[in-house]
Amino acid sequence: MKRILSILCGLLILYSYSPSSLAIQDKDKDKDKEKEVTPSFPAYVDSDLCARLMLGPITTQRVDCSVKTYKDGSNPVLVRLDDNTIFSVNKEKMVKDYVGGFGEASGDIKVKSGTMKLKGFTPIERSQIPEGPATKLLDVRTYQAKGSAQLHEKVRHELAMIAYITTFDFISFTLVGNDVILTGWTVRDTNRSDAEYRVKKIEGVGKVTNNIEILPLGGIDMEIRAAARSALQRTHSTYFWSNGSDIKIVVKNGTIILLGAVRTQQDFDTATIQLNSLSGVFHVFNMLRVTPPAPKDKG
Amino acid sequence: MNRSRYFWKALAGSLCLAFAMAIATGCSPAETKASVKKIPANQEFSGFLKDYASLKPNPNLDGNALTFAAADAKQNLRSYFAIIVDPVEVYVATDADASKVDDEARIALTNYFQHALVDAVSDAFPVVNEPSPLTLRLRTAIVGVDVGGQVAAGDVPADAKPLHQALNIGKVGVEMELVDSKTGERIAAMVDKTNLGAGAEVGAANFSRMQKFAAAREAFDEWASRVRTFLDSEHELKGEDAVKADQSYRPYGE
Repeated sequence: MKRILSILCGLLILYSYSPSSLAIQDKDKDKDKEKEVTPSFPAYVDSDLCARLMLGPITTQRVDCSVKTYKDGSNPVLVRLDDNTIFSVNKEKMVKDYVGGFGEASGDIKVKSGTMKLKGFTPIERSQIPEGPATKLLDVRTYQAKGSAQLHEKVRHELAMIAYITTFDFISFTLVGNDVILTGWTVRDTNRSDAEYRVKKIEGVGKVTNNIEILPLGGIDMEIRAAARSALQRTHSTYFWSNGSDIKIVVKNGTIILLGAVRTQQDFDTATIQLNSLSGVFHVFNMLRVTPPAPKDKG
Repeated sequence: MNRSRYFWKALAGSLCLAFAMAIATGCSPAETKASVKKIPANQEFSGFLKDYASLKPNPNLDGNALTFAAADAKQNLRSYFAIIVDPVEVYVATDADASKVDDEARIALTNYFQHALVDAVSDAFPVVNEPSPLTLRLRTAIVGVDVGGQVAAGDVPADAKPLHQALNIGKVGVEMELVDSKTGERIAAMVDKTNLGAGAEVGAANFSRMQKFAAAREAFDEWASRVRTFLDSEHELKGEDAVKADQSYRPYGE
């Protein structure tokens, strides 16, 4: 037993000197440079999934999403109410009991990587949040659904045209007045920066908050991505074309998030069944939207 | 007590072994794997690529670049998003004396180009070390290298180390291919020939820092940049693909 332990220790040391590990360490050093120590801020405790898909007012629907997806395995994250920036936290235990609620969080943050070294978290009631930007963002009226359709369409089109988006990336956004909150997941640095660049240069866009997470590549995740795409290309081939797809497959640490749209409930259900049967998959969040094709004009 | 001592011995032994292996595998320069080959006589290409017949002129790239990109809907450049950048190989000109190619010069050359390639592609294709699905392997060769003259210490600044013998890169070109890292199947390829002219040479181990060798530095940066341009042009959404991507995309934050 002890011999096995000693070999494991050796392998650990070996890994720590491997080129990939060294590369990661170098990246971490770079990220440290952007570390910020901030005073505490009011935050909403969300699930990673809902935070990156439903950025908008904290409605009952959003709270339900947070609680349900957290129970299903999505990690808890903090959403800073002042500007809707999402932070993954190092000590999830400190916040996990408050998913769907609010709190005052303190610690070291890294905005670019969207991470926070949590030092303290005190749960608070919604009514205790001080008046200001934070409460403004809780108000459903702040989120402009009407009156900015043109701007919304411009942003949507720009994001649709990002060249390096694949089946494994999904970038979403929300308009808050003229400000844009970018969310989603990507496997490439360039997609995160390109999305922000494209949106910032649109006339009429105000502040841009970039909550797009760069996914870890991970050996097992790569296997899952390839297997998931291959499985869906067989069973849902009509949703794939030569250089893209209607269905997006986001894989993060063994969890699959299915996004996009399918035409029938059967396609929705079979996608879940297909992916649940893949080796190494912990959970499938099927967030596909079922949108039946518009009836053809008989005239 | 004896068991405990044995445990610590085993731990120390395995740590030493691991450290030695780490140095041997992780910390040693990858370029030592590279070797010098020669372009066969009367051949247009070096033979580094298995097939040159499918290469065609690329209108997106200036000059004499020939490229190939797989058109298979299920296996093309857009099917991959990570990359392994292999050590760069060197092919000397047919009439060059390969035995006179200084190892240090070759390493300086290939090291610089490999780093330039990594810099050029890494934000679009995350660079990894191990083969896996969805990962490409970038194989690259510098072809047509010739032996240059002796390098006098006075030709380089005092704080830089001159090479014994310079490498002439006035007539070099680049051949590269992207293959599936698991199966080896070719997904894309490029042959880029540029005549840099007389005087383009590498004469110091850290040539990238010296004005005298600016032509070499610029040439390698340019080639790396053209590899990226090629990848960008293959990813650009055009025609029906652009229409489909636009129609398909609906954000969730509504």
